[in-house]
Amino acid sequence: MFLYTNEAHPGEHVPHHDTWERKLANARLLRDEVGIGRPILVDDLTGTVHRAFGGMPNMTWVVDRGGLVVYKANWTSAANIEGFLERYRTGRKSGSARVAMSRYETEQIEFRRSDPVQFQRALERNGPSAVTEFDNAHAIWARRDES
Amino acid sequence: MDADGAITPERYNYPHFDDYIAAGGELADEARFRESFRIGERAPDFTLHRLNTGEQISLSALWTSKPLVMEFGSFT
Repeated sequence: MFLYTNEAHPGEHVPHHDTWERKLANARLLRDEVGIGRPILVDDLTGTVHRAFGGMPNMTWVVDRGGLVVYKANWTSAANIEGFLERYRTGRKSGSARVAMSRYETEQIEFRRSDPVQFQRALERNGPSAVTEFDNAHAIWARRDES
Repeated sequence: MDADGAITPERYNYPHFDDYIAAGGELADEARFRESFRIGERAPDFTLHRLNTGEQISLSALWTSKPLVMEFGSFT
């Protein structure tokens, strides 16, 4: 399931949400242009669900039967999620298996592949201001690093 | 957030990414993520609008029989 939030890098061609109709129109872009085939659920205009789960722009949570949180990542890595689901399903089924398995919890830092060229193309698609504002953000991050 | 702590659609749907960064928006979101529900806790239930059908659907209806993978994101 994909939960549609607020626009992270709005621009002239894909503006921020000022109405519910705008939000639905942008969500349709996600479905029709990106080709998201999973069911898309649209959050309200104040991001009630998005903010309740932490508010990160591309996070993933896995919630098991009954609402038990079993995985949270502040960024999405399909490979990491697939690996986790395989391990989790194996462990959960272990009650009927010959090999005993014990549950434990972990927190760890992970790395994911990024694609700066594709990201830049996406900013340009969003509109000139999306490109300029991301450049401005880099300058802000650089000043923070210096201080 | 507004000065009184209330979120508004205008604040949440920021029109300019650099303003969001200058205000420390991404730092606040990173902190909110860390402080949100922990592994092993129960997630709250919410009702959301399903894009293709327009129906309202609760998250709990989606996690009744198998793990629900919830990816959050936008077009941009």
